[in-house]
Amino acid sequence: MLKVHQVTKRFGGLSAVNEVSFSLNEGEVIGLIGPNGAGKTTLLNLICGLYPADGGSIEFLGHNITGMRSNRICHLGISRTYQIPQPFYAMTALSAVAVSVINGKRRPNMSLSDAALEASYYLEFAGLFAKRDTISRDLTLYELRMLELARALATTPKLLLIDEVMAGLNPAESSRALEMIWSAQEQFGITILWIEHVMKIIMSAAQRIVVLQYGRKIAEGTPQEIASDPKIIEAYLGGRYAKNQ
Amino acid sequence: MVDLEFRRDRILLRWKDQKYEWVIEPRYWRNPAIGVALLAVLPLFVASYPHILTMITTANLYAAIAIPLSLQIIGTARVNFGPQLYLGIGGYAAALLNLHLGWPPALTLAGTIMVCAVIALLLSPTTWIARGLYFSLITLILPLTFLDVTFIYGDIFRGEVGLVGMSPLLTFKKVTWNYVSYFYLSLILMLFYLWISDKIVRSRFGVTMAAINENEDVARMMGVPVERYKVFYYVFPSILAGVVGWFIVHTFRTFAGITYLPLDFMTKILIIVIVGGRAFLYGAIPGAYLISAVEDSLRGLGPINYVLFPLVLIAFIAFLPRGEGLWGLYHKRHQRDYYPALHVRRD
Repeated sequence: MLKVHQVTKRFGGLSAVNEVSFSLNEGEVIGLIGPNGAGKTTLLNLICGLYPADGGSIEFLGHNITGMRSNRICHLGISRTYQIPQPFYAMTALSAVAVSVINGKRRPNMSLSDAALEASYYLEFAGLFAKRDTISRDLTLYELRMLELARALATTPKLLLIDEVMAGLNPAESSRALEMIWSAQEQFGITILWIEHVMKIIMSAAQRIVVLQYGRKIAEGTPQEIASDPKIIEAYLGGRYAKNQ
Repeated sequence: MVDLEFRRDRILLRWKDQKYEWVIEPRYWRNPAIGVALLAVLPLFVASYPHILTMITTANLYAAIAIPLSLQIIGTARVNFGPQLYLGIGGYAAALLNLHLGWPPALTLAGTIMVCAVIALLLSPTTWIARGLYFSLITLILPLTFLDVTFIYGDIFRGEVGLVGMSPLLTFKKVTWNYVSYFYLSLILMLFYLWISDKIVRSRFGVTMAAINENEDVARMMGVPVERYKVFYYVFPSILAGVVGWFIVHTFRTFAGITYLPLDFMTKILIIVIVGGRAFLYGAIPGAYLISAVEDSLRGLGPINYVLFPLVLIAFIAFLPRGEGLWGLYHKRHQRDYYPALHVRRD
């Protein structure tokens, strides 16, 4: 479905993402992990077209999406959430989701009230229907993350890029968020590329895990393989710890 | 006995066991109807004072520039500091076509729209490349450059004295009728602009526009073709401003860049937008009337008005609720509703 081939991104002298290649099959949940500054979010930004890649190619459903504008990538079926929530602060939850509904794919004849109805479906799904008339500025962190999820789902994506959805949530909230993502995958049949720092969740959720360090891919495999890989233990816990094991 | 209660969004009047309520919301249909009716009968009271008629005509024209500017500020998510550029371009295009080629007003209107559209289209990529302060700087410099051009090519533009003798839209035998007809024409022009901008803002494009105004990159990630929208919201209001120039040419029958292009004209328009409530289309009208009334009343004080007027403008900015302007006095804490209100009920 998604083929990332030798993708490179440099910011000045720093290679944030260095010749990373991996691929996603339809219906999979792939975890993308790595220490801070490993280039995970940059890789996500490259896939959804926020930055142009300096080298390599990204292919999605047979289309070469390298250097494509993000609105066209969105129309092809890639949607994302943000690590730091980026809501439309002055807009109500309903209208923010309505924007995705109207623009997520070509809908030349959709009226505003139709869009509002469809948006309310996604809000209901994310458990935010009661907050539909609340301005995004007044939502809590959990609600903002769910709003982002609703907004991303409203564009009817085939591939959803999730960027640290659990960061800053308490255990009850994160288990609710996890359930939400599972039911989203079940109901909409989407493929998920998931960046996460909470190892417990990503290890149980993902079928395959890609590990980045200093912008390079250092490992790829099932959660069990990753958990026992000495290279990854070294990357996370340091060389001395890995040797002592 | 009669109980009057002021709520945030409505006035409640209780008398015996009857309850009447009045919604203080400019979009509530009765309020614009009353506003339009008031403006329409205004000349009956001031018809014998030509200078007041001119003042309210000018106020209409100010509003007709400020309304598209509001639309542009929301749609491109950038503050245009040179809204008068297209007024100048439109005015000069209409005047030159009329004077040199002898085109009647209907044809010069088409010509003005064409010229403004082409120039705005050529300049519209500035909305892609420049953000924030840089966009404001570019738009600030452009009208001043054009003003210089009108002086350098003085044989064409007549920079110092302006172009005179363009054919009028309407002529009546009585001078007062002329003034009254100009007022109504400018009123129609302004209300048409308000209507058309309101249609855009309240449609699905209004929601998308609000998203662009909030965060371009996120909007783009949600499938909004931001570049295309920004070109439209740059070009379309520019054309509307250009048509105001055409209107000035064919009613006042004199057009000089030195009147419309300098910074003080720009300040007036921007203050109208701020006083009326930024990103709030209806607010431009009371804002424009207030500003031109202040301008007119200070003029009687002699040369000192050039000092006083800016001071009064600063006072407006300082003392009106920021960003909400006059409407903000009505509904404080009301959300900025430049996008359509969407409601879904469960039952």
